[in-house]
Amino acid sequence: MPRKPQLICPAGSLPALKAAVDRGADAVYVGFKNATNARNFAGLNFTDQQLAEGIAYAHRHGREILIAINTYAQAGRVAEWRKSVDRAAEIGADAVILADFGLLSYAYQTHPQLRRHLSVQGSATNFAAINMAHECFGVSRAVLPRVLTLPQVEYVIKNTPVEIEVFGFGSLCVMAEGRCILSSYATGQSPNTHGVCSPAGFVRWEPEGQRMRTRLNDILIDQFEAGEPAGYPTLCKGRFEVEGDTYYALEEPTSLNTLSILPELIKIGVSAIKVEGRQRSPAYTAEVTATLRAAIDAAGDAHYSVKPAWQDALTKVSEGHQQTLGAYSRPWR
Amino acid sequence: MSLPRPLATVLSRLPEAPPTLLLVTALNLLRRRLWPEDDFAWLTGRRVRMEISDLGRGVTFSFDGRHFVLASQPADVVFSASLADYWIIARRQEDPDTLFFQRRLTIAGDTELGLQLKNLMDATDFEPLLQHLPQGLRSRLVI
Repeated sequence: MPRKPQLICPAGSLPALKAAVDRGADAVYVGFKNATNARNFAGLNFTDQQLAEGIAYAHRHGREILIAINTYAQAGRVAEWRKSVDRAAEIGADAVILADFGLLSYAYQTHPQLRRHLSVQGSATNFAAINMAHECFGVSRAVLPRVLTLPQVEYVIKNTPVEIEVFGFGSLCVMAEGRCILSSYATGQSPNTHGVCSPAGFVRWEPEGQRMRTRLNDILIDQFEAGEPAGYPTLCKGRFEVEGDTYYALEEPTSLNTLSILPELIKIGVSAIKVEGRQRSPAYTAEVTATLRAAIDAAGDAHYSVKPAWQDALTKVSEGHQQTLGAYSRPWR
Repeated sequence: MSLPRPLATVLSRLPEAPPTLLLVTALNLLRRRLWPEDDFAWLTGRRVRMEISDLGRGVTFSFDGRHFVLASQPADVVFSASLADYWIIARRQEDPDTLFFQRRLTIAGDTELGLQLKNLMDATDFEPLLQHLPQGLRSRLVI
């Protein structure tokens, strides 16, 4: 019988971290207030004091804190990224989640006792890449990009000693994870370099009666009519005119929801299930953590079925019109 | 949930200064306790308006470097939601992004300033404040 996977939940603030611990997360992942993590949003994330309190709180409850330092160190500023790894080690994090191989090497050599996870931003989709990260940098866990089918995830798991973590819930993007520079076409900044897809300083929402327009660096990227659900202001989720048709030319705002395949994820030996959303508020973290906790606990049962209350809870907080199994159930490859 | 019409009519005719004054006074009293690490440089000289969409009224405030102060329009950033939805957010029953997706909350103007404020509220630990309230009232307020 495979082991029950850990539930890894997001926190952008101390109340969210505590909510995740209280509602049953096995580990909470967080970031510093700088460009070294992929949710570098104004006012989000932790000061050292808040993080120290959060780590003490989690450890008191027997849970772990993972620190995401998962953007790419920029030329001339490598020290900032290395310093963040040092801070994570000093403050007592249980692991760091890294993408940059230079930074992985630094962490491995400088803080060998600090566990290293390969971030989804590391873009490792095959076992050879993951095994190389294991051999070169002692990576003990890898977070898979959201592009693999269930059989492909299983194939990776069978061929690596590294623990495999997959996404279980949250907003989806175009999933060129670790390689996406789309937003830099509009803003000159991208998630890998600045830790944010659409820096808030470039975002303008323009209500006009019941209609709302979204602009990114003055470029109109979407327009919502009365009652139409809104999405995050990213280029990949914008609607564009292509050959006379205006539609979601790249991707429609959608959320991943794996409630229905949790038993399969457990069966193939997934070590951890991750929830997206460090940018969200404590109410989201609480709701999603409690729901996933209940579902994962029930998923080992032969009579498992998705409870409508779980589905409702997740639907309520979802971005976009629809929820999907994403690549997990993709019939094509 | 919405306001009873007679109450909404009365409230919509009241001036904005008294509730704003109440708000900034409360913020000034609570500032050091709730946000000991924040110098509010990001808010200094910037104007924030929270508009109550079902009343057509709101509060506009700023920070002068030392205190929260009443401010006049136009604001740099304007939040707009119903009174009931502000209450839901304040009690952490729903997250603002959810209300934004559902078009129940709008943010116009300086998005970065708005996000900073939203994230400050998310990061605020209200526990020191709630400790002073009677247990019965506390349990009704805390999620």
